[in-house]
Amino acid sequence: MNAGLPAPEWRVAIDTGGTFTDAYFLNERTGRSHVAKVPSTPDQPELAVIECLLTGGVSPAEIKLLTHGTTVATNALITRRFSRAAMVTTRGFRDVVEIRDGTKEDLWDAYKDVAPPYIRRRDRFEVNERINHTGQVVEALDEAQLEHLGRILKRRNYDAVAICFMNSYVNVAHEIRAREILEAALPGVFICASSEIVPEMFEHARFSTAMINAVTGPIVGRYIAALDRRLKAGGYLGDLLILHSGGGVLTAENSRRYAARLASSGIVAGAIAGSHIARECGFENAISLDMGGTSTDISLMYRGQLRTAQEWHVEYGYPIMFPSIEVISIGAGGGSIAWLDGGGSLRNGPQSSGAEPGPACYGKGGNDATNTDANVVLGRLGTSLLDGRVALDARLARNAITAKVAGPLGLDDTAAAHAVIRIANANMANATKLISVGRGFDPRDFALVVFGGAGPLHGCDLARDLDIPVVIFPRHPGIASAMGCMLVDIRHDLSAMCLLPAEDASMARIATMFERLEAEARSRLAADGVASCEMLLSRSVDMRYAGQWRQLTINIAPGDRMAGVLSRFHNEHQRAFAFRDQTRPVEVYAVRLVAKGTLPKPPSVPTVKSASKPAPFGTRPVFFSGIRGHIDTPLYRRDVLTSGARVEGPAIIEQLDSTVVLPPGTNSVVTADMHVVTRFTGAA
Amino acid sequence: MNQQDTLAPALDRVTFEVLKNAFANLVDQMSEQLLRTCYSFVIFCRDFSNCLCDENGDTVMQGTRDIAVHVGTLHLTAKAVLDRFRGDIHPGDVFMVNDPYVGGTHFCDVRFVRPVFHNLRLIAFTQSNGHWADIGGSQPGSFDIQAKEHFGEGLRITPIRIWRRGEFLRDIAEMIVSNTRAPADAMGDLLAQAGCTEMGERRLLELVERYGVETILAAFRECQDYVERFARQKVAGLPSGTWHTEDFIDQDPAANEGLIPIRVSLTLEGSDVHYDLTGSHSAIGCFLNATEGSAFSALVAGTKTFFPEVPLNSGFYRFIHAHLPPGTVVNADHPVAVTGFCSGAYEKIMNAVFELWSRILPDRALACCFNLEYLLIGGRDERDATRGRYFMWYDWMAGGWGGRADRDGSSATSPIFGVGLAIQSCEAQERLTPVLTSEHAIAADSGGPGRFRGGCGVRKGGRLTEIGHTVMSYSCDRGRSVTWGLYGGLPSVPHGVTLERAGERPRYLGVVFSGVPVRAGDRFWRPSAGGGGLGDPLERDPTRVLEDMIDGYVTMAGAARDYGVVIEAIDAEVDEWRVNPAATEATRAKIRAARDGWLDLDAKLVAEWLQQGVITISEAVRQYGVICDWDSSTLLPRSTEQFRATLRARRMQP
Repeated sequence: MNAGLPAPEWRVAIDTGGTFTDAYFLNERTGRSHVAKVPSTPDQPELAVIECLLTGGVSPAEIKLLTHGTTVATNALITRRFSRAAMVTTRGFRDVVEIRDGTKEDLWDAYKDVAPPYIRRRDRFEVNERINHTGQVVEALDEAQLEHLGRILKRRNYDAVAICFMNSYVNVAHEIRAREILEAALPGVFICASSEIVPEMFEHARFSTAMINAVTGPIVGRYIAALDRRLKAGGYLGDLLILHSGGGVLTAENSRRYAARLASSGIVAGAIAGSHIARECGFENAISLDMGGTSTDISLMYRGQLRTAQEWHVEYGYPIMFPSIEVISIGAGGGSIAWLDGGGSLRNGPQSSGAEPGPACYGKGGNDATNTDANVVLGRLGTSLLDGRVALDARLARNAITAKVAGPLGLDDTAAAHAVIRIANANMANATKLISVGRGFDPRDFALVVFGGAGPLHGCDLARDLDIPVVIFPRHPGIASAMGCMLVDIRHDLSAMCLLPAEDASMARIATMFERLEAEARSRLAADGVASCEMLLSRSVDMRYAGQWRQLTINIAPGDRMAGVLSRFHNEHQRAFAFRDQTRPVEVYAVRLVAKGTLPKPPSVPTVKSASKPAPFGTRPVFFSGIRGHIDTPLYRRDVLTSGARVEGPAIIEQLDSTVVLPPGTNSVVTADMHVVTRFTGAA
Repeated sequence: MNQQDTLAPALDRVTFEVLKNAFANLVDQMSEQLLRTCYSFVIFCRDFSNCLCDENGDTVMQGTRDIAVHVGTLHLTAKAVLDRFRGDIHPGDVFMVNDPYVGGTHFCDVRFVRPVFHNLRLIAFTQSNGHWADIGGSQPGSFDIQAKEHFGEGLRITPIRIWRRGEFLRDIAEMIVSNTRAPADAMGDLLAQAGCTEMGERRLLELVERYGVETILAAFRECQDYVERFARQKVAGLPSGTWHTEDFIDQDPAANEGLIPIRVSLTLEGSDVHYDLTGSHSAIGCFLNATEGSAFSALVAGTKTFFPEVPLNSGFYRFIHAHLPPGTVVNADHPVAVTGFCSGAYEKIMNAVFELWSRILPDRALACCFNLEYLLIGGRDERDATRGRYFMWYDWMAGGWGGRADRDGSSATSPIFGVGLAIQSCEAQERLTPVLTSEHAIAADSGGPGRFRGGCGVRKGGRLTEIGHTVMSYSCDRGRSVTWGLYGGLPSVPHGVTLERAGERPRYLGVVFSGVPVRAGDRFWRPSAGGGGLGDPLERDPTRVLEDMIDGYVTMAGAARDYGVVIEAIDAEVDEWRVNPAATEATRAKIRAARDGWLDLDAKLVAEWLQQGVITISEAVRQYGVICDWDSSTLLPRSTEQFRATLRARRMQP
């Protein structure tokens, strides 16, 4: 380190979104934090990252640790502008990724197809080899054939190759040998074997993951190298850590190697932030709702842990088999459009007015009635946003509601606007039910954390719809995702398949499998520069009733006896699926290891409590559900609501990046961390 | 909070939209739960449907990812329960039915119907229909293709009570599951399905609590009225008229060769859609017949394909009127066997409906899609770890859908019978059964040639490893009534299984067979058909044929034979090819001049060419319209005559 300079003391998290790049800066010495927001630069996302640092007034040399959520992989998949990749499979199986499971996302529209695979058929090749389900070689790998193929692949100039062999999850030998041969033939080409990415059964999910890894790997690699260069040039000496779908970060090198893990980097940041904020407010069970301009992302934390899914996708039909924080996205945002369908029913979204032209009230030529317009008509949203940087035209909002909703339905404007909001809320409530009630969780045991630009407008109504008793409005609703990027650890997810009866006799084999995974995990973390005292390994097993097709993931500790594990399984089964069958044999299906390298967390900096009763800066008429007409509602600025302040609904809180609506019948208090926690008092 | 908006009446449009979505969400939650708690892999692969019915048994809402084959039938089952138990239905009761003769589909579709009460008033039913992997009978999987009557097919469960006022009638349940080949699975599915109807009940009562029972009942009615209004509005603007077509089941195995016609006419009158299936063949001597309920389902599903945005419930069934003559292959009565209806009459009706609507809505045109098929291998597992266990390799394939107005058909897609039905992982199958898959690949030249090509079918092959006392059965169709094209588009290829035993010539076993003994070491394979083509293949853009050839969807020989496109290699190793325009022009001219005569060529002569290996099966079908017993290449004169007539008819432009 340069002796003349002070030690870097800033923790910085930067989240690149579709529209904005947000940064959260935290000074570890002073405990002070601030935020910055700049427009994203999709063609070269690293430019906005650097710009964001400039705007925030922190130079790379002053940064101690930078964590980053990126949409590079997601965008590459969505736009299909990615690397030219080839796939090599077992003979007879090059079409696994094209046949998929045969299903379509749209069951009835014969003109809506599933998108084609990311690697075209002409770029998928076969070699002779076969391993059976026990790992036994049925047909040897034809190395001569593979060498010949290597020459063809070289002539065809691919950037990446995915090697996908049948049953490679039980025996990796052929894939590894094939990788060696192709690496020798194709220097500089990014080559990945499916069993190295995810050694799990189900050929389509594994091949698909490897395919996505291959097409995104070189792009992610190039992006991170470009960003790394700029940061280093600016004097940054630390690691560049990239957020992945599992809710942890990977080092730059591993981000390329496991590029498929990055494909929902942006979405999970919000979920992490939401769960962190809920815990700061003292809640272990929370549902996070991140509502932006075009969509809403919903996630769930139970007993302090975010729910994860073992499989997810960017496009229907192409699973990514890495564990991922479970996030449900629906097309409900501030810009979602209200419309009447052919049966005369009022609908809301998923179409959105987008950034251009935006809601009618933006005055940029939009005519459609959006949620934002409805909120303006109801008085919930003021006519000036972002401290006056954006002006909303209430007349245009009203015109759109009149023309598109009130007129056709024969309602007055207020009722029409309220109808639009009720339907938006109902859609979000239904999505929330799928992730909560649908998974056996009772929303009444949860707090709702609402953020994103539009979330705080809807939070209280939504909570009432769902019988959720508590709503949390974070201190910075608009940049929660960036904050989420700072709250993570280095994380690897490892797994191995097995099929063992859940009895004590199996424990020794299970322990051996874990030891093998742990050795691999420790070496990965060590390569990431994690000291062994900072390594945190946690074991779990996937279990199911013999013959059943859905497994539950149950935590397990070294030395656990099977009886205890089984009892946890039966209990969890009862909770999730409403029945148990203790007479039925249970099997252990896979072992999973989460390996974390813990990173220092930003210290919580409680503010001084002030008992002062905050003063409103004005009032405006606002319409609330269940009350006739608009009522005069006090308006508060968020920055006068210091810790300990109490606000009784109805009230509106305005801040730079969001507007909080607190209906009648609510009591809110500002916490030490400056979040607003709202409870219902019963009477509306 | 007072949810009844002060600004609007009890069921204003907003509350309605909210409740409509809540009902859909309720059924989707039932589906989520069933998916997570079912035991058998068939249900796990999404062969199930759930619904919410009103107090009359009419469907208010179906699941958003339900199987096509169950639509239009669930309300009939609820009504059958009402008919049987009216006045004797109590809170905590659950009823069980699989009877196709009272509106069900086939025995494997086992349905649970739970009445929902509010203050002792019956207000609704929640229902769960799951396809059980086995329901007894003479053959594994309960597919006995030789059955002429239902008695050997499986257990027929007329509406019975399985929970009485909350008490599980375990003895009855055990009697039922003991009649299946996997009683523990069946019991697990039974509990899972009943459990999911209970969750539906709970959710519905929460809504009743919140909105009031009258609002909920009004919303039930309005959901159906809304769908009816929506559907009628779609049809009202279309020209009135009547359209006819026919499609065919391959044969009646109990009679002489000859395709079995299913005639469908469609009349549009105002906003009503009338289907008349008069003229369809009488019920046949195998299990491919449909009952009235499933034939109606096919009409509904076929229609819905052209109006995908209209939701499905009993409101949809009000604008569709069907005449299904009793005693025919489309309305077979007890005790005629109907278990294979989905491979038989069902998809014929659906495809015929596609053809009719293609004429009315040409920009949504859809040529014929591949046929649903099930291959079943059942016997003793002789592998070390599982020796002596009974195994069932129960497999279905994706295939090609028909060419469309402005684009090719969809390749390797689940059957129209249920697009949500997922095909299985070969790796998972290999763990569970001693069958090693040797290929699972898209079949070149399987898409029916056309200006817009049919989607490609798939080829799946395997080898039996360590087995004992094992038999193979197959349920499919369109080995003779080959997946057809439209407007000059050509057919795909015949379905059918081929079995090869060491030292013997491969045998084509056909599309319906059961109980064929197989041995360790035997190899087998089968294609799924591609879709039929749409439009004249000679008018297909040669560069698209070239692209297809590079991707291997079409072979170089197929490009010349089916499309008249001559392709040459520049550098094959790096996929550089080109179309030879002059040779293409000449080949196309030659085909154009000759093809009219091909359908008049002596069919015996064509069959001889086939026997001698001068032409392939695909050429016999596509160019000459000749249908043979594909194992012996023996001409089937009557089938050929019928098939040639359809080829001529389907050359007509819309």
